[in-house]
Amino acid sequence: MSETNYKLVRGLLLAFLGLWVLLTLAPFYWQIITAFKSAAETNLTVPTFWPREFFPENFVAIFAEPANFSALVDSFIIATGNTVLSVFLGTLAGYAFARFPAQAGGENLAFWILSNRMFPPVAILLPMFFLFDSMPWGTDSYMSLIILYLVFNMPLATWLMMVFFRDAPRELEEAAYLDGYTPFKAFFKITLPLVLPGMISVSILCWIFAWNEYLFANLFVGTAVKTFTIVIPTFTQGSQTLWNLQMAFSLIAMIPPVTLFILLRRYMVRGLSLGVVKG
Amino acid sequence: MARLSIEGLCKGWDFPVLDELDLQVEEGEFFIVVGPSGAGKTTLLRLVAGLETADAGRILLNGEDVTTVPPYQRGIAMTFESYALYPNMTVFKNIASPLVARKLDRHTIEQKVTAVAKLLQIDHLLDRKPGEISGGQKQRTALGRTLVADPKAYLLDEPISHLDAKIRHELREQFQTLEALHTVGTLYVTHDYSEALALGDRIGVMGGGKLVQTGTPRELFDFPSHAFVAQQLGQPGINLLMTSLTEDGGKTYLRSRDGNLKLILDEEQRQRLNGRSNAEVLLGIRPQHIRILAPRQKAPAKHQMVDARIEQFQPLGSMGIAITRAHGIDLKALTPPEAAHIGAQEVRLAIFSPAFHLFDPISGKRI
Repeated sequence: MSETNYKLVRGLLLAFLGLWVLLTLAPFYWQIITAFKSAAETNLTVPTFWPREFFPENFVAIFAEPANFSALVDSFIIATGNTVLSVFLGTLAGYAFARFPAQAGGENLAFWILSNRMFPPVAILLPMFFLFDSMPWGTDSYMSLIILYLVFNMPLATWLMMVFFRDAPRELEEAAYLDGYTPFKAFFKITLPLVLPGMISVSILCWIFAWNEYLFANLFVGTAVKTFTIVIPTFTQGSQTLWNLQMAFSLIAMIPPVTLFILLRRYMVRGLSLGVVKG
Repeated sequence: MARLSIEGLCKGWDFPVLDELDLQVEEGEFFIVVGPSGAGKTTLLRLVAGLETADAGRILLNGEDVTTVPPYQRGIAMTFESYALYPNMTVFKNIASPLVARKLDRHTIEQKVTAVAKLLQIDHLLDRKPGEISGGQKQRTALGRTLVADPKAYLLDEPISHLDAKIRHELREQFQTLEALHTVGTLYVTHDYSEALALGDRIGVMGGGKLVQTGTPRELFDFPSHAFVAQQLGQPGINLLMTSLTEDGGKTYLRSRDGNLKLILDEEQRQRLNGRSNAEVLLGIRPQHIRILAPRQKAPAKHQMVDARIEQFQPLGSMGIAITRAHGIDLKALTPPEAAHIGAQEVRLAIFSPAFHLFDPISGKRI
């Protein structure tokens, strides 16, 4: 390729990527500037692309209402509880599928677990509601969502952990047996440290899903327990939408997952490349 | 009482891998199992270590039946072909692992690990991780982990096969000098016959799921019980030709089935073949028993002369391999590296006839 052609292609590529970044960040930009606008400014017929006046009082207003803060706490409890449970169960199941496929039900069972993620969630929305209603933990409780989200997160955790365990050489465990470790100790001492980066990335994925979930939360909880995802729409009231408060609250709700992502991005990349990068 | 004794061991998956294998490793013996890849050598080690369960048969360690004892209670140490070093631990922690498992105190562990590392010349690497050391150093680390364990028996699976030649020789020397390996009992598996001949107190040649022959290196090399054993040992490989017994003018010959090579048998060999209904004989001649004569050189005593032509010559530094064609038969001969007569295509071979190996062509057994 000639020098000019190379420059042209490179230029076009950069222009395309620039456009892409712009499209991706535009809603985010809109969210941020709206969060700092006054209610009056959000309702102008000709929208402003930069707040005429910065209005940080929006954030104060959000925290002035205790229910908003407790919604964040509820979301945190549910997301964390579900993540711990999903990763714990997924690790055990993934290990069994990776090391003892015949005894653990083979490829078919492993695939069936994954296939639980393939149906449209809304299809089970109502059956699940009635099912949970008759369970000891009922609905409108932490436990209801912590257990419900297992339907989505445990298959993911099981499948990913299975892949990570398959990548961890079995011979290392066998060497540990010969060193004198029981299978249980060998698992904790040798294998678990090897899959730890994978476990962290699986945890992030599970946590972010549970944190962001709206559809089921909207139906299952709402009185005793409220997640922030069902609080945000309440800023849309009969005659008007409080865009500035809605955006301010969602901006606050974005902080935990974004922080998590930035802090642990090293593991995320490894987790998402699914065993392509070997430890 | 043998240190390690294996009786009628069977193991198979979709096909049999080990078939009623018997094996004894005596106290302090360095026993080498050699065989082609896929012969079941590693399976044998894994069974002895307890990583696989036997379909039938018994494994006795110091007279105690350990066939069903789990690996972490057998007290056997093993090095893996892949070294199986823990990638997240330093060399020190890798070597210390069996001691940590036994919950020894820190001071003792430090002492033992340092001593073993010094012995193996890796004491300067103790803080590194396996990813940061060379293949030879990894093998030494793996060896250190087995040595420090002070086991009832050592199992070594192709420990030096994947290293380059120079390090292979260094480690081979080390195996000879490491006292521990020669005090309890070591079962060493390799596909490299020269390792087996150089290191083994005794060798077992594996084929068809069992040990075809066991004995000292000399016994196996000089008196292979089976054509398979003769083929496994020696580089370049033994010349094997199908022949039939013929009598002519009061002398007994072996005449090659292809071509027209005739070799005279001596009295002792003739008697060995007496009474056989089958006139076919599989004849084995080691390349070192075939010499290429200089022009007008007389044949040495007990050698037979054969006219031949040199087809190919490979100088290998300390020796050379000549592939010759004699009366339509290819014969490999071991020669000095600077065989000057190579330029002359037509040569005479001197074959040392007392070293003929005679095998039954059907069973492969030595006659």
